[in-house]
Amino acid sequence: MRKRRTLELTASYLVALVAILLTLFPIYWILNIALKTQREAFAIPPHWIFTPIWDNFEKVFNNVAYRTAFANTVIVTALGVAIAIVLAILCAYALNRFRFRGRELFAGWLLLAYMLPEFLYVIPMYALYQQIGLYDTHIGLALVYQVHSLPFAIWMLRSFFQEVPRELDDSARVDGCTYWGILWRIYIPVTRPGIAATAILTAIWIWNELTIALALSFSNAGTITVAVASFRGYAAVRWGEMAAASILAILPMLIFAIFAQKYIVSGLTLGSVKG
Amino acid sequence: MLPALIVLTVTTIYPVIYSLVMSFFNWNWGNRFNFVGLRNYIDAFQSAEFWSVMGQTFAFAIGATTLEVILGLGLAVVVNHLRFGVSLIRTLLLTPLMVSGVIVAIMSRVMLDPLLGIVNYLLSLIGLPPSTFLGSSTTVLTTLIGIDVWWQTAFGFIILLAGLQSLPRDPIEAAQVDGAGAWQVFWQIKLPLLSPVLFTVIIFRTIDTLKVFDIVFGATSSGLADVMQTLTYRTAFSYQQMSRGMTYMVIFSVIIMALCFLYMRLNRSEDA
Repeated sequence: MRKRRTLELTASYLVALVAILLTLFPIYWILNIALKTQREAFAIPPHWIFTPIWDNFEKVFNNVAYRTAFANTVIVTALGVAIAIVLAILCAYALNRFRFRGRELFAGWLLLAYMLPEFLYVIPMYALYQQIGLYDTHIGLALVYQVHSLPFAIWMLRSFFQEVPRELDDSARVDGCTYWGILWRIYIPVTRPGIAATAILTAIWIWNELTIALALSFSNAGTITVAVASFRGYAAVRWGEMAAASILAILPMLIFAIFAQKYIVSGLTLGSVKG
Repeated sequence: MLPALIVLTVTTIYPVIYSLVMSFFNWNWGNRFNFVGLRNYIDAFQSAEFWSVMGQTFAFAIGATTLEVILGLGLAVVVNHLRFGVSLIRTLLLTPLMVSGVIVAIMSRVMLDPLLGIVNYLLSLIGLPPSTFLGSSTTVLTTLIGIDVWWQTAFGFIILLAGLQSLPRDPIEAAQVDGAGAWQVFWQIKLPLLSPVLFTVIIFRTIDTLKVFDIVFGATSSGLADVMQTLTYRTAFSYQQMSRGMTYMVIFSVIIMALCFLYMRLNRSEDA
């Protein structure tokens, strides 16, 4: 019996190890190519041991279009997250606090907004933005991202707010706190980890989004995914630079993920698993 | 509440209505458009391309969702057995979810290159024949499914793992006392208890894979593989047939909506 358990445990670790290797190998390999010369990158059989060079990263750093796209992504992500979090806090609080008709309908609307295909929104918004001058602007992009980010943030924050003990805010009201005061002094401080989780997941989503950015931005506000997509034509030849550009684009989110993994897991699993 | 409503109205209701209205016109940019009634819908339903792309989209979604859910569940069960290092393993397995789809696509192009890619080399080491992967119409769809599996399996894994960890202990222990084996406990007790979570994962992955854009757009050369969203992109932005593109999206949205309603319906009956 004892022996069988050990065997099972060993087998489980082996499976997990294989899964981890398969998961990480592509990222490792792309990093490898980013650090190789063109000739080495193309070598078959591949060189597993080589002297790393930084030329590819240098070229990407010196590429003005890439630098602009990187800066754009930072701005758009910050704007998008800020709008989503502020609006979602207010909305989630109102949904929790006040009973009103049509709450069910509103929940359905949120789900649909979140789920419907991007191009359904993007083609009309393209036409509208061309007319009112929001095409290819940071704020224009950040606003359309709300189609996805806002329902998600409202959902998440609502369930975090639901966990705030009712007595806490009843007693605050007795002490003469206004609705704003309760939100500001009780809900927000108590659910800070939840707000952080929501902001992180929203940021990751916006940072990585392609469809909306591709349709609604160009040279002025174009994000990093659009820049990488525009390189794809010569992915066939300039592997090193492509790889370096990819690594730089995913690095911020990977670092983010390492530091915030607890939040990310709690955010992803919330709602679908009620413990 | 109000600001959120305004933003959502402008960014969701307005475009949906606009799309719906324009799908009855023949607008191709510019100022001219005429009312054409159901013409766009009739054209779409009679177009062989539309049906073939719809078929490919569903083939992709069904293939990818099935594999991702099975692998995700398998991994969750395995990791749930482990004693130590669970949080590290979870973090490592989570990394693909942090990578943008278009970058996944570019990485695939480099690694799956038929001549110089590492994957064909690794296949040759274990004696398997090389594949054209993204380079030919016979292998492209399977390859795209494989790419999506690498990219998104972790989603189901994370959620199912959390689901397994929060299962009530009593029924499982009772079954064990009654002498049920591990296999029986899994199929007859754990899986039924897990089914609401499993169902959520299946619906979310189905909708998400139906809407696939990034990896198809980024990894394939034009025309080799098309799904609904890449077809719409080409129709509206490259061929400038806006009304036609919107018609495609309206039809496609009806399918997505049906899945959403199914989800809401079953979710509610769970609660009741």
